[in-house]
Parts: sequence; C-alpha cells; structure tokens
Amino acid sequence: MHDETMASGVYLPEMDAAPARYASRARHLEFAGNAKDYFRIWIVNVALSLVTLGIYSAWATVRTRRYMYSSTTLADTPFEYLARPLPILKGRLLTAFIFALYALAGHISKPLQLGAALLVGAFMPWMIVKSLMFRARYSSWRGLRFYFTNDYGGAYQWYLLVYLLLGIPMILVVVLAAGGHPTMGLLIAFAAFTGIYPWIKGNQQQWMIEHHHFGGKSFRFKGNIGNYYGVYLKAVAVSLAWFVPTALLLGLIIAGIAKGHAQPFNPKTPPLTFVAIVYACMAPTYLGVWTYAQVRMTNMLYNQARLGLYSFSSTLAYWPMLGLYLTNALAIVCSIGLAIPWARIRLARYRAAHLAIVGDGDLSDFVRDAFAHGEVGATGTEMDSLLGIDIGL
Amino acid sequence: MIPAVYFDGCSSRATPVSLWREEGTLRWRTPERSHEWSAPLDSVEPSARVAGVPFVLRLADGGHLQVDHDLLPADWFPRHHRLEQLVDWLERRWIAALVGVVVVVASLLGLFEYGLPWAADRIAAHMPQALETSMGKQSLAALEGRILLPTRLGPDRQSHLQSVFWHFVNGVPGLPAVRLRFYLAPAIGANAFALPDGTIVFTDALARAVPDDQAFIAVIAHELGHQAGHHMMRQVLRSSGVFIVAGMLMGDVTSLGGMSASIPVFLVDSHYTRRFEQDADDFAFRALASQGIDPVAFVHAMQALEKAHPELQGAKGLRYISSHPLDEERIARANAASRAFRAAQGGSGVAGAGDAGATQE
Repeated sequence: MHDETMASGVYLPEMDAAPARYASRARHLEFAGNAKDYFRIWIVNVALSLVTLGIYSAWATVRTRRYMYSSTTLADTPFEYLARPLPILKGRLLTAFIFALYALAGHISKPLQLGAALLVGAFMPWMIVKSLMFRARYSSWRGLRFYFTNDYGGAYQWYLLVYLLLGIPMILVVVLAAGGHPTMGLLIAFAAFTGIYPWIKGNQQQWMIEHHHFGGKSFRFKGNIGNYYGVYLKAVAVSLAWFVPTALLLGLIIAGIAKGHAQPFNPKTPPLTFVAIVYACMAPTYLGVWTYAQVRMTNMLYNQARLGLYSFSSTLAYWPMLGLYLTNALAIVCSIGLAIPWARIRLARYRAAHLAIVGDGDLSDFVRDAFAHGEVGATGTEMDSLLGIDIGL
Repeated sequence: MIPAVYFDGCSSRATPVSLWREEGTLRWRTPERSHEWSAPLDSVEPSARVAGVPFVLRLADGGHLQVDHDLLPADWFPRHHRLEQLVDWLERRWIAALVGVVVVVASLLGLFEYGLPWAADRIAAHMPQALETSMGKQSLAALEGRILLPTRLGPDRQSHLQSVFWHFVNGVPGLPAVRLRFYLAPAIGANAFALPDGTIVFTDALARAVPDDQAFIAVIAHELGHQAGHHMMRQVLRSSGVFIVAGMLMGDVTSLGGMSASIPVFLVDSHYTRRFEQDADDFAFRALASQGIDPVAFVHAMQALEKAHPELQGAKGLRYISSHPLDEERIARANAASRAFRAAQGGSGVAGAGDAGATQE
C-alpha cells in the first residue's frame, strides 16, 4: 500500500548539479507529538486566554500551532509555523466585530441581516484566497516557505460563480413541474446536479493545487476531473447505506415511544427526549457521510498533486477515520472538552502516518523561490475558522 | 559543542553541523570540518521554547540552525521571549495544568454568569430607544398574519380588559410606553409575551382562560416586568454575546463545527431567560401589591395557564432547559409574596385562598 512508485522511470534533472540517484521511495510524514505535553500546553494557553479576556488567545494559537507543526516531521526535519501573534489578534478582533454586527442585525431587521449575509458571501472567495495565502506564507520546511498565488479571479470563478450553475437543475424542476412532469423534472435535476457538483469540486481542487508553490516549484495537478464523479457517486451510495437503517431505527423508536405515551403526540412541542433521540440517530449518519467525502477528497487532493519530481500518496481509509472521529467526539463530549488535545493528537498522528511524499530525489532539490514574501493579514483566516469553511487541506 | 542542522535558506539541503559559542559569536562547522560558518550572537533570532519542539535559530541572511529541544544551553539567549519562557515554565508542570482546568472552569462560569451579562447590560443601556422600537416592529411584522391572527374577542370584552390594563399601568411607575394587543393565535395557545417596542401580545385563548380580572392583571404585571427591565433588548445583546464568545472559543478550542457549539449557547441562553423570568415575576408581585392586589392572583393565572397547556406538565425536572422557572417554584414564590402582602396589610384570617391553591398540585 505504501510502496507506490512513480510510473515513469524517466528522470529529468531540474537542477544544475544532478543529485545522486536514489531508489524511488515513499517518505512518510511522522508525527511525534504526544497527548500529555499537548494537553498541558493547551490547557495553560486556554486558561491564559480566558484570564486575559481573549487578548492572549493569539499567542496561545501560535504556541499550540507551533507544537503541532513542529511535531510533524518529513525526512527528519520538522515543519514550522511562522505566524506572529499580533496580526492574528488584529484579525480576530475584526472578525468578532463583524460577527457582532451580523448577530445584532438579525434582531433589528431581517433585510439588514440578509444584506450582511450576502456581503459575507460575496467576500467568501476573497477570504478563501487570503486564508490559503496566510497558511502557505507562514508554513515552512527546511527554511523554505510555501506560497499561494493570489488568484482572486479564479477564486470567484470556482467558489462563487460556478455555484450559479446549480441553479439550472432548480429551474428545470420548476419548468417541468409546471409542464406536468414533476417526477421527470426531479430525475433530470438529480442527473444535472450529479453532473455539475463533482465537476465543481474537482476544479476547486485543481485550482487550489495549482496555485500552491514550494521551493521554487509549483504544485501541479496530474489528475482527471472524471475521477471526482466516482467519489461522489460512491458518496451517494454511502449516504443511502447510512440513511436507510437510521430511518428504520428512528421509525421503530418513535413507534415505541408513541405506544408508551397515553397523550397524543404534539408535533409543535415535541418532548425533549424525542429531539435528543433524533439527534443521537442523525449525528452518526451525518458523520458517516461527511467522513466518507472528507477521506476520499483528501486522498484525491494529495494523490493528484505533483511537486517537481515528487508525487504524494495519501492513504486515509474510511473506517479507521470514522472510528477516530466517533471516539474523539464521544471522548470530547464525555470529558466536557478536556479530551480535545488527545483527540487532536490522535487525528494528527493518523493523518501524518498516511501521507507520504514519493520520488527519486532526496528532497534537497528545492530552492528559495523568487516570489515576494510580503506579510499576509490574518483576517481572512480568522473569518474562515469562525465560519468553519472547509477548505480541505 | 552541540549537534545541529544547518539550512542556508536558499535550498532545502540539510547540513549536519557542530555548533558552539565563542563569547559573542556563534560558530558551526560540518563534521569533516570542510566548511565553517559564524554569526554574531545578537544577530541571531531564536524561536521561543515549546516543550518537545526543536529550537530554530534564525540567521540574518535567511538561513537557520535547528537544535534539538533539550540541547540548547539556557544561557545563550536568556533575554529572548521572556513572556513565553514563563508560559513554557507553566506548560511543563502538571500542577499548572490542574490549576489551568480550575481557572478555565471558573473563568467560563464567571464570564457567562457575570461578565457577559454585565457588559451586555451596559451596552443595552446606551442603545437608542428607536432601536428597540424597530426591533419590536420587526418581530410583530414577522408574526402578524402567520402566527398572530386578528382577535375574535368581542369588543366589550376587549375594551373592558383594555380599561383594566390602563387603570393598572397608570398606577405603576417607571414604565416605558406600553400598549396591549389581542391576537388569535392557535399555534401558541394561551400565551402572552412582551416585545421590545412596548407591545404586550395577549392571545385570545389566554384571555378566555384567566378566571378573573386580577389573574389577567397578574399576567400583565409579569409582562410589564419585562418591559420595565428592557429584558428583550438585554436578552438579544446577551445571546449575541454568547454566540460571538462561543464562536471564538470553538473556533480556537475545537473545530467540531456548529452543532456542538449550539448546545452550550442554548443552555446559557435559557439560563439568562430564566433569570429574566424571575425578575419579571418579582416585579409583578411588587406591582400587584403596590396597587392593593393580592399576589395570589398570580397563582390563579399560573393554574389557568397549566390547565390550558396540559402538555407542559410532562416537562418537569428539566430545570436548566426550561426557559420559565418551574411552575411549582413560581407558585411557591407567588404564595410567599402573597403572605408578605397580607402581613403588610395587617389583615388576618384571610389565609385560606392562597394556600389552597398551593396544595392543589
């Protein structure tokens, strides 16, 4: 599983001095962090953040991220997190201010909130670019920084405009329903949706890969958009496989409750136990489907990327990841959050162990790139961590 | 001499070196002594200490030296990152971690119990009246026609209740501009609530359920308590604050997403609501007593409400989740207020009605 090699045996030296030839091999990322150290770091920093009313939180973020980055090593060299606390603090304050306005706007006037939501939506691609730039700019390995090109046009194209295409199936449904073929309309809409959505996702990944650079080389996308159809078709199958038993189970439980209760069931004020049961049943289903898409898409992202002579091998597997997510969620809920560091460490360890860089070189053929490494503001990345935008890196 | 790895900042080549210090100069060379470099110590920028993480000594030319965490002598860079040295000292100690847990719990409690309500109330006090008015109009416009339908109460009944209302309101000092509106609202049954612009919404079902004018006034007095305390505005600001704080905490502390964040937000919100309900009750007892109405009228109103909402009786025991304080608790407090009222009136021997109400449960 881990001995994937480059298909092509042709070796084209890109450096003046051709390095010695190494056997093509996979170098795995290693994660050396441990939950004990990380727990102490985490809790002390969270406590300090709270005591300082959030001011210290930027320093806390830098320290905890530095621990995670530096515990991840590739070829015995750790990654580095280089962001400074002050820009993060500024970005965080601005983000809090924007969200305070947004939350208040909802109570004062709905059109105002709608306007604010549209505004945030219009800025989303911009934020995605800023966030990717920030992450890349402040991540480094062996003294060389990553870089993300500020392609705002591409971001607007692939993260905003293409979603307008999804309007086509909706229009089809309406038109065909008006014409007296609602079932036909739904089928065609479903087909159009499955035709468009994987294409969007694939192009997003391609865009993201091709605008990243490291060590004088650009990441390249060596894949096929067609592969994404397979992922999403299987995801549909997985969600059906999860949803049908869940629905049956839920039906049985509700029937059981209805029998036990003498008074008629009032759908307007459902009893709390009922709400809790629905959540308890739906949460694993949601997690099951989400994990599947997440795992497959992460594998796709890395496996279709190339950097210079190197390719990547991401071998995340569905069931172990689902198990990790489930046990992590349970542990965090049961420990009222104290298990968060342990959960993060486990996840980082698994993810690192299943990502490898494959190639002939000895990884010393990267050079400082010619890109201007100006500072990048942190507001974009703070916004997306609050909004929970899933960039998928 | 300590082992280190040298990166020149121009390529990703890793060069193992030996590193040592000569007074104000840092020197390092390859094991076979083919190359040697040096840099003045004060031009070198070391990274802050984090448990288990290698030190990075950044050089002025963009290169860096990587030194294992335990190998860097402490006296090389004593003046750098003083704050983070202290934090690092804490991070190494289990006792500090334990104290950290206590501090986190205590400050979260303090934040949500005192800090956030205090800050939100300060802001609420400075909000212009126009904002409350527009909030109230906004909510009413959203409800009218969907949940709130035109009232079916007869004009006589309406004008009678309105005159009872105004008679009472004129006797209560410290109220903002208020008005009473009746609506037919099958979706919410017997109910009454206050909107931020001073409107009190009273449903037809509740108007029919209250046994007498005094019970009607008891409900009104409770809603006036919300109006006098500007509870709606304060609640809006508080729950927005909880939303923001929780969002920031979750963004940093976990990334489990919205669903897990909404549970604590919901719990804290209902905690605040409960407090406001209690305040409004207290206001009602005082207002009733000041106009010579026995607060036992409140008990009668509560009993009428319970009768109108049989499904609520199953929801007891979920103390923290219910937004209103438990009915029994409210009834007990109303009865206590009633006893105090009667004691203050100097009346004796009229202790029958209220106690009978309390023992009915």
